[in-house]
Amino acid sequence: MHLTGTHRFDASANEIWSKLMDIDTLARITPGVSKLEELGEDQYKAIAEVKMGPVSGSFTGNLNVQEKQEPKSFILNIKQNSKIGNVAADVKIELHPVSDRETELSFDGKANLSGLLARTGQRVLSGVANTLSKQFFQALEDELAGSAGTQG
Amino acid sequence: MTNYIGKAVKRVEDKRFITGKGRYTDDIVLPAMAHAYIVRSPYAHARIISVDTSAAEAMEGVIKVFTGKDIAASGINGIPTGWQVNFKNGETMKEPPHPLLVADKARYMGDAVAVVIAETKEIARDAGDIVEVEYEELPAVADAKKATEPGAPLVHDDAPNNLCFDWELGNPKAEVNEAMSKAHHITTLEFTNQRVIPNAIEPRSAIGHYEEANDKYTLYTTSQNPHLTRLLMCAFVLGIPEHKVRVVAPDVGGGFGSKIFHYAEEALMIWCSQRLKRPVKWTADRSEAFMTDAHGRDHVTKAEMGFDKEGKIVGLRVKTYANLGAYLSTFAPCVPTWLHGTLLQGLYTTPKINVDVTGVFTHTVMVDAYRGAGRPEATYLLERLIDTAALEMKMDPAQLRLKNFIPPFDGVKQPGYQTQVALQYDSGNYHGVLNRAMEMVGYEQFRKEQEAARKEGKLLGIGFSTYIEACGIAPSAVVGALGARAGLYEVGQVRVQPTGKVSVYTGAHSHGQGHETTFAQVVADRLGIPMDDVEIIHGDSESVAFGMGTYGSRSLAVGGSAIVKSLDKIIEKGAKIAAHKLEASEEDLEFAEGKWTVKGTDKSVGFGDVALTAYVPHNYPAGLEPGLDFSSFYDPANFTYPFGAHIAVVEVDKDTGKVALKRFIAVDDVGNVINPMIVDGQIHGGLAQGIGQALFEGALYDDNGQLINGSYMDYTMPRADDLPSFELDRQVTPCPHNPLGVKGAGEAGTIGSTPAVVNAVMDALSPFGIKNLEMPLTPERVWRAMNS
Repeated sequence: MHLTGTHRFDASANEIWSKLMDIDTLARITPGVSKLEELGEDQYKAIAEVKMGPVSGSFTGNLNVQEKQEPKSFILNIKQNSKIGNVAADVKIELHPVSDRETELSFDGKANLSGLLARTGQRVLSGVANTLSKQFFQALEDELAGSAGTQG
Repeated sequence: MTNYIGKAVKRVEDKRFITGKGRYTDDIVLPAMAHAYIVRSPYAHARIISVDTSAAEAMEGVIKVFTGKDIAASGINGIPTGWQVNFKNGETMKEPPHPLLVADKARYMGDAVAVVIAETKEIARDAGDIVEVEYEELPAVADAKKATEPGAPLVHDDAPNNLCFDWELGNPKAEVNEAMSKAHHITTLEFTNQRVIPNAIEPRSAIGHYEEANDKYTLYTTSQNPHLTRLLMCAFVLGIPEHKVRVVAPDVGGGFGSKIFHYAEEALMIWCSQRLKRPVKWTADRSEAFMTDAHGRDHVTKAEMGFDKEGKIVGLRVKTYANLGAYLSTFAPCVPTWLHGTLLQGLYTTPKINVDVTGVFTHTVMVDAYRGAGRPEATYLLERLIDTAALEMKMDPAQLRLKNFIPPFDGVKQPGYQTQVALQYDSGNYHGVLNRAMEMVGYEQFRKEQEAARKEGKLLGIGFSTYIEACGIAPSAVVGALGARAGLYEVGQVRVQPTGKVSVYTGAHSHGQGHETTFAQVVADRLGIPMDDVEIIHGDSESVAFGMGTYGSRSLAVGGSAIVKSLDKIIEKGAKIAAHKLEASEEDLEFAEGKWTVKGTDKSVGFGDVALTAYVPHNYPAGLEPGLDFSSFYDPANFTYPFGAHIAVVEVDKDTGKVALKRFIAVDDVGNVINPMIVDGQIHGGLAQGIGQALFEGALYDDNGQLINGSYMDYTMPRADDLPSFELDRQVTPCPHNPLGVKGAGEAGTIGSTPAVVNAVMDALSPFGIKNLEMPLTPERVWRAMNS
C-alpha cells in the first residue's frame, strides 16, 4: 500500500520539527495512539486502538526514526505485529520551507501488510490512512497554533 | 408414468434444501466431539524459527496442540497429486512434499503451521491466537512467469527456477513454424487468464472419527469425490488400511471443482482423532476459504494464429506459463496440460498446432480444476484470437468462424474428427449452433443498430464464442497413458427390493447437480416404474461400492451409463423370472411400461411381481440365483464433446467505463437431455461464473505473496442485477458412444461465456483502437483504456 500526502502549515520547519520529535506531543496528536514510550534513542513503542470496518483491535508497534536531517527530513520505520496481521512500513517525511512562516510537510512511503489485514479491506485502508493523516495534520496544526498562542 | 426422460421434473432434493433440512458436514454433531482450529502462516514465504504452544495448551478447554514437528515425527506422508506430467526431456515432474502441517517453512499465506484441538470451536480459535510462532519472513513470488526468471525466490529448494514440468503437444514446432511463416496474416495476443476463487456457498469442513473399539475410521467431508479421497488418504498419506475407513460426503453446498481434491485438513482430522480417541471437527470460515481452497485458472499466455488470404486458419502456436501454487493439488498438473492443450483444435480445421506449457510453483495457494478446468483457458485463447483476427483482417467474426468450422459429423455414419492435439471428437454440428445463435440475436439488424448507436456516441458491442469441451471424463486407458494415477470409470449399482422399490447406488456425487432427480428419471423410465419408487444413494463409501466422483461434466455420461448397464442386467434377469412365471420362452417376451408381456397376447407379469419372486423364489427357474441386484463398472470408450455458440451484447458507458451486459444468447449442444430444467439451471449458473471472470472476479496477490482481496468486501462476485435474462436454446447431437447419448452440461456455460463477453467489450471499444484488455473488465480498466 502506497502512502503519500502533503500539508501546508503556518509554521517554520524548526517549529514543526520540534513537535514531531516530542514524544508527548506525538502521543497526543496521533489518531488512535493511546500510549507511546521511548525504548531507546529514536526508538519507540506505540500502543494503538484501531477500528476499521471488520478489522479492529489493539496494536503494539515499534517505531524507529532513521536518517534524521534536522529540520529537513527523517524516515519513520514502523513494525507492528498482531493476531490479525502484520504491518511493515517505511515512510519518508520531508519539510520544505515555503516562506519564513510557511512550511510544506510531505510524506511518501510504502506499507506492506500481511495476514487478515492484507486480505480484508485493503481497498478501504488507503482511504482510512488518508483520513488518519488528515486528523494528524489537523491536530498538529492545533498544537502549533496552541504553542504560537502561548508564545505570543 | 413412464416418460420421465426429457421432462422438466422438479428436483426431489430441493424439498430438503429449501426448507433448511439439508445435512451438511458442519451440521453433524458426534458424541464427545472436539473442535479444531488451524494456525496459518500470515506470510507467503517464511522460515519457521519456533512454535511455542505452552500458553495455548494451558488454556482451559484446550485438549492438545499439534505442530508440524509432531506430524513429521509421526512418519506419515504428505498430500499426493493424482496426475503425473513429465518434462520434455523425459524427467519426472517435480513433486515436492506437502505435509499436513509444515515444520520448517511456510510456502503460501495460509500454509498450516499448527492445529489446536479444544472442547469448543471458540476456545480452539482463542487458543490458536496465542500459539506463538516466530517467523523469519523471506522474499516471495506470486506471478508464474516471474517465478521462472533467474534470481526469483524458490518455493522448493529442489525445483530449480520453480519449474514443476515443461510440456508440449501437437505438431512438431518446426512444422508449425513453417506453416506460420507462410501465413498471410498472423494475429498475436498476450494475456493473463486471471486467477479466480471458486467460492462454493458452503466452506470446506471435515470430521475425523476414530473408533478404538473396532479400529475403524470415519471421515465426514465436503467432497465431490469421497472414494478417491479415501484412496489417496489411506494409501498415500496415512498408511491405514482402506477397508477400515469410511468416507462420507453428505449434502455438499457446491464445489465447482474446489472440492474434488484431497485436502490436508481431511487427513489431519483423521490423524488427530486417532491420537485423541475423540471425533474432531474442523470447518473453514469464509476467510480461510478464500485463502486455502484451491484456486482456478492463472495462465500467462502468448498465442499466435496464422491465416491465409481467404481467412482460413493455417497454424496455431501457444506458449503458456501455468501457476500451480505452492504444492501440487490432486489434478493440478493435468489441468493446464491435458485439459487445456488438447482443446486447442476448438471447432476449427487448423492443420498445424503446437502448444507449450510450463508448470510453475509460486508462493500462492494451490491452483487446480475450477469449473471447466483448462477448457475455459483454451476456449478463451482461441475465441479471443478469432475475434481479434477478424478485426485486424476486417472480416466478420461470425463468417470467419463459419469458414473455419469442422463440417458436421455424427460419429456413426461419419467417423469422429481426429484433432492435431490427441483427441478424437465424437460428433458435432458446429455450423448449426452458431447459425441458430445469430438468428436469435438478429445479427444483421444488430450491426445496423450498432452503427446508428455509434453515431449517437453510444458504445454497443457484440462478441462471439464458439466452444467445444472434452467431458465425461474419461476412458481409463487413455487417462492412464496421459499420466493419471487413477482410473476414471464409474460404478452404478441397482438393488431392486423385494417389494419392487429400487435403491440405486452411484459413485458420482451430487453437490448441487440434482442427481437424485435426473438419475431417478433414467431409472424410472427404463424400469417403467414411478419415480417415487426410486431412491438415489451417493456420497458414502460404506454403501456405494466405489466411485470416481463428480467433475468434468461426467456424472450422467459416465455415472448414468454405469446405472444403465446395471438396469440392462436387471431387465435381462427379470425376463428369465417372468418367462418362468408366464410359462413362455424368454425370446417371446417384451419389456415395456414396467411389465413383461408375451408378444401378441395380453399375458403379462409386472415388475413388482418379478421382484418379489426373485426374493421369494419358491417357484423359480432352475439354476437361477435368487435376488435382483446388479452392480456395474462403466469405463467410457471416449470423452464426450459438448459444444455451443454464445453471443454477448454489451454497452459500455463512455463516461464511467462500466460494462452493461444487455443480452446473452447461448445455444448449447450437450447431446440428449434428461431434464431440461436442470440443464438450463446448469447453463445459467455456468454463464454467471464465466461472466464473473470476464467482468468482476480475480484473485490478487501483491509482490509479497499476500492475497489482498480475500473477502467479499474486496472480491467481486457477479450478482443478479449484473446479468440479463439469458436467452437459451439447444441443439441435440447425441453422443454416439454412451447408452444415454448424453454429453454433459455442467461446465458449458463457464467455458463459452467468458470470451463472448470480452469480445463484445472489445467490439464496443473498437472505435478507440483498443484490441485487448486484461480481465476482469472493471470500469476503471475500461475507462483508463478509453482515456489513454
